[in-house]
Amino acid sequence: MTREVYIRAARQISVQLPLSEGWMDAPLYPEGPYARAVDPDYRHYFAPNVARRLGKLLKRALLTSRLVMEESGVSRPGAIITGTGLGCIENTGIFLDALAREGEGLLQPTHFMQSTHNTISSLVAIDARCHGYNSTYAHKGASFECALLDAFLQLREGRVETALVGAHDEMTPDYFVLLKRAGYLGHAGGFSGETAASMMLADRPGDGALCRLRGVELLYRPGAGGLRRALDSLSREAGVGLDEVDAVMVGANGHPPNDRVYGEACPLLFPGKPLLRYKHLFGESYTAPALGAYAAATCLHRQRLPAHLFAGEGGVERRGVRHLLLYNHFENKTHSLVLLSACGG
Amino acid sequence: MDELILNLKREIIEVLNLEEVKPEEIEDDAPLFGEGLGLDSIDALELIVLMEKNYGIKLSDPAQGRELFKSIRVMATYIRDNRKK
Amino acid sequence: MQEEIFVTGAGVISAIGLGRQATLAALREGRDGIAPVRYLKTSRVEFPVGEVKFSNEEMCRLLGVPEAGVTTRTSLMGMIAAREALEQARLPGDGGERVALISGTTVGGMDKSEQYYLDFLENDSRNEYISAHDCGACTEMIADYFGLFSMVETISTACSSAANAIMTGALLLRAGRADVVVAGGSECITKFHLNGFNTLMILDREPCRPFDAGRAGLNLGEGAAYLVLESGASARRRGVVPLCRLSGYANASDAFHQTASSPGGDGAYLSMTGALATAGLAPGEIGYINAHGTGTVNNDLSEGLAIQRVFGERVPPVSSTKAFTGHATSAAGGVEAVISILALRHGFIPPNLRFSTPMPELSFAPAAGGSAAPRHVLSNSFGFGGNDTSLIFSKTD
Repeated sequence: MTREVYIRAARQISVQLPLSEGWMDAPLYPEGPYARAVDPDYRHYFAPNVARRLGKLLKRALLTSRLVMEESGVSRPGAIITGTGLGCIENTGIFLDALAREGEGLLQPTHFMQSTHNTISSLVAIDARCHGYNSTYAHKGASFECALLDAFLQLREGRVETALVGAHDEMTPDYFVLLKRAGYLGHAGGFSGETAASMMLADRPGDGALCRLRGVELLYRPGAGGLRRALDSLSREAGVGLDEVDAVMVGANGHPPNDRVYGEACPLLFPGKPLLRYKHLFGESYTAPALGAYAAATCLHRQRLPAHLFAGEGGVERRGVRHLLLYNHFENKTHSLVLLSACGG
Repeated sequence: MDELILNLKREIIEVLNLEEVKPEEIEDDAPLFGEGLGLDSIDALELIVLMEKNYGIKLSDPAQGRELFKSIRVMATYIRDNRKK
Repeated sequence: MQEEIFVTGAGVISAIGLGRQATLAALREGRDGIAPVRYLKTSRVEFPVGEVKFSNEEMCRLLGVPEAGVTTRTSLMGMIAAREALEQARLPGDGGERVALISGTTVGGMDKSEQYYLDFLENDSRNEYISAHDCGACTEMIADYFGLFSMVETISTACSSAANAIMTGALLLRAGRADVVVAGGSECITKFHLNGFNTLMILDREPCRPFDAGRAGLNLGEGAAYLVLESGASARRRGVVPLCRLSGYANASDAFHQTASSPGGDGAYLSMTGALATAGLAPGEIGYINAHGTGTVNNDLSEGLAIQRVFGERVPPVSSTKAFTGHATSAAGGVEAVISILALRHGFIPPNLRFSTPMPELSFAPAAGGSAAPRHVLSNSFGFGGNDTSLIFSKTD
């Protein structure tokens, strides 16, 4: 007997106004190829002794986690699962830089201690004194979906009743230079952003869940046939026909090699479906798909799709939304499908 | 000695990121760990690096650090007697 | 009743050798792999390490991978270990199975990043290694070497990564998301974490002495290991004989500190009791514990006390094989899963090397090794931040 899965609360810190759904009606459009997240004033939230050792990524992760726990009334989730493409890259960079420039002499323990990817999940668990399942996925642009799939399967099978899923990536000026050289960031038509998104998943809706999570599919180099099979199985397991899906949200970011994959796959897989985007708001980042899921969950909760989300010209706001499908790929290797439905939909 | 103590306080504030603390708020004889400043074992490791970086004093045993980092005055006295830079 | 998960292949490379046979021989003969630094370019020569005794070039030749191509030490070791596991499980087969790769690493391509970091910042000469840095890149290099996998995931929970990968593998199988899962981890030694562990002052300047009163820290090791996991029906359909069952697993958070374990080993207690519960076993049925046993003052005390809490007055033979291999960090859970399976199948307890003085806080001393016939073996892997995982492997008959 499998169980339903709900997204009970979700919070973000990104290049949009933090901890706010302001992007729905008054989106910010950062200029240039590189934008940092808009941080709230953390002094309102953390005692100095807690905050002093935490870098930005950890502050964002801890705050968004605390808020979704508070809002969903779950103080000790059964699982804490994080997706992060690069982990705490600021501390990693400081340690690497010191190692490269000054040698193996006098390096600082805090930078090392907070460079490992699972610092994030651990911090949240230590803060909440939560002894439950704790894990971290670090798989490039699919890191969030790996974390989401783990939570989804554990909830479906009744292994846990609640799961806090976080997706966190920061982008330092140095690492932006690196990833621009590598060809991932810095293209015309889009921009590099930062992601801090936390959501509480549960097998019961509680008071006012945002939406239902119906399925997660994760594939490696699937080809057209593999994607088709995954879509069919997602649709069959969720009992939601493709014809019932209102729109498909994709990870187009303005970079032709990335967008071409959607351009080729979408007409075949989802003919005639309106396409939505989110990276024009939140930028590119390894865990940006979490912000897409957050945006879709918010739209389902508020029962409307703002005009600016629609890909292409002439998007018109739509009211009444039942099912949204998210389709992301990373370098045409990892592909993911996530199906969200309105509560009661 | 007073100058060394003041410098040491500034260095500790910087390396441990004690943004909200001013040098004059740290008492010379107050304990640094537990009560007082409330530092922990990772701070002790940072202070060991500080001792070597700024004063050329090498400590290889964390237990030795615990003795030295009792208070600012104990630290400063040890630095005065053993510094290599 | 949950579907049983079987192990049908195992592959390993570590400081004590390449492959199951070499590993078994070293364990039985008490030959450790801890030695002065030879392959890593570091000035920290005062710390002995458990390096894999092959250069990257030698590993490329073993694999038939071009030496001039973009590889990292972590991915090369991963390919070698995964290849052995796949061969034993007779994969790729001809049945069109959906095979997933779940790999654990934290260091990823850091060996190249630390070598070329200034180039990364200042010029375009090493750009191909920038995208090879992250954990996922390492898994994809391994996946692409075989071209077999329809799903890949990377877990990064520091020193419990490979054990968590095995656990995730079981979850995916039970949810029907894959027919076969290759799960484990890979990690090379880097200057980055050798110096990082040094800043935490937990490296021993001598070969490490787990569970000894005089223990003074860990030795870093490296390696890779993978298991092939599948259901009984899948193994029968493919005509492969299971090596053992993965009968129990659990992960728990110590929720205490970013680098230290709680005094009473709360997370370790929960992961061990959780694994026993999923396996449906009583503590008395465990015939051998392959401990995390890093050799640090903190870990061995905390883990030892947690073992006493779980097993009371009847603690089964316990040993840490990190005295053989060093601490292979993210790969450790995989390497020790293979060692646990070897102990189960060949009926012996690997000795806890270099033990001389019992810890006064513990009621038990680590095992001296020798013949035994454990039916169930428990393997612990604990990561930074208190990420604690226990796996149980059981005989099939």
